[in-house]
Amino acid sequence: MRFSKFLKVEADIVVARYSLLMVETKSSVEPVIFLHPEFAKKSGVKEGDVVEVEANGRTVKLKAKLSENAPENGGIIPNGIFASYLTNFEGFKRFKANIEVAEGEPTDVEEIIKSFKS
Amino acid sequence: MIMICPGCSCLCDDITIKDGKIFNACRRGEEIFGRYKENRARAMVDGKEVDVDAAIGKAVEILKEAKNPAIYGLDTTVVEAQKLAVELAEKLNAYIDDNSSFCLGELVEAVLKKEMPTATLDDVRDNAYVIIYWGSNPFHSLPRHMSRYSYYPRGAKRPRGYDEDRYLVVVDVRKSETAVLAKKNAKFIQVDDDAELVDSFFKAMDGKAAKYAQDVGIILNEMKKADFNVIFGGLGLKYGLKDLKMFVELVKKLNEVAPVYFIPAGFHANMRGFNETLFEKTGYVNKYSFRDGSSDDSFAFTELLMNEKIDAALIVGTDPIYSLPHDVSAKLGKIKTIVVDPRMSFTARVADVVIPSAISGIEMSGTMVRSDGVRIKLEAIEEREVNDIHILKKIMEGL
Repeated sequence: MRFSKFLKVEADIVVARYSLLMVETKSSVEPVIFLHPEFAKKSGVKEGDVVEVEANGRTVKLKAKLSENAPENGGIIPNGIFASYLTNFEGFKRFKANIEVAEGEPTDVEEIIKSFKS
Repeated sequence: MIMICPGCSCLCDDITIKDGKIFNACRRGEEIFGRYKENRARAMVDGKEVDVDAAIGKAVEILKEAKNPAIYGLDTTVVEAQKLAVELAEKLNAYIDDNSSFCLGELVEAVLKKEMPTATLDDVRDNAYVIIYWGSNPFHSLPRHMSRYSYYPRGAKRPRGYDEDRYLVVVDVRKSETAVLAKKNAKFIQVDDDAELVDSFFKAMDGKAAKYAQDVGIILNEMKKADFNVIFGGLGLKYGLKDLKMFVELVKKLNEVAPVYFIPAGFHANMRGFNETLFEKTGYVNKYSFRDGSSDDSFAFTELLMNEKIDAALIVGTDPIYSLPHDVSAKLGKIKTIVVDPRMSFTARVADVVIPSAISGIEMSGTMVRSDGVRIKLEAIEEREVNDIHILKKIMEGL
């Protein structure tokens, strides 16, 4: 078990379009966060890890990828259902979140849809 | 076959489809043309499949019974359908709004009211020297914007190529892909608070010290070299500045130094079409109440939902569960929802009524308005009878 599993860190999150992952058919959405490599390193997150991202009292699990285009102290969550689930209008495109390495699989979009049905 | 891409507000008019292959499209456009038959909506009422007429009939019933209905979305459909939706809202005494109320509507309104000088993208291509992308990352949001209209093309008065005849400025909170391009004859300004940069421009023009005075001084000097400079403002600008009036004042003040035009950059293919359609009818670009005869922040669809002011919504061509904060979209469960969409969107999957429609520009011809206000006629590959116009007309008749 890695030490980073117990490390919860605050991250600057930017919500932005990410055309390489956009599914124009609206049939699926990839649960991913692009972390800045420096931020990932100091937070003990490796590319491919599943990270739990918590903001505004809600949590999703996303697969970590690395990007130099992310904010230095955090990451980018692509515009879409996972970012929308975490954000509010106070910080619609830019907010603070807590991040930690997690066990298990990334959040299935069906779980979020279910929350609307219930 | 030459097509216009309805993927974003660039409305690229050079998409070629030959022998089943798609040429010239960006990665988004290629998916739109290549996968338009996938994940199509099915007519549904209360989660059960029905025929289209039954779904339209149920929509009429919901709208008739609603005390406070709203019509929302419409940014991906054609102007002809947008006009019908405005008529329908008037007939219902309803609220009408689109995504621009939390996107770039305020800036489009300032342009339509001539509070900022604007230009066409063709003017930009031919003339622009200093090109500022402020809070916009076209690499992902408008992938061909820079190659077709702004930075890369050689223009009539800019024949020498981007590294000599253009000066690129990128303003962002992070080093985006577009910011990485700002190398020679260029500047990237990484801001934490956009208001500080606006303040720096004002102070530098008055000869005062400011946080970004050095960078801003260089940009102002570059602007003075040309008779045409442009600022493209995106969502980062909208959410980076609490008061967009500051920005409008800045553009006015910059024009005392050198000619500077503003063009909004971002948004869905025909958001500006919706803004212009409603503006022509009411004098406002969005968040309008026909009952009150006015526009107000409290009439934004998101506010109406949050404050539980509506009991039914006709949602056309947009996916609020995908795009709105959860606090807002969760309220959809408290009202009757009718979704008109070509796709089985996330919102369609939980709606009371789903009416499957045609994809604008691919299965329905009509007009869209590019981000710079140029009207473009789109011709469908194959016309589909049940499109937004057909559906809205049927609902109108039913009422």
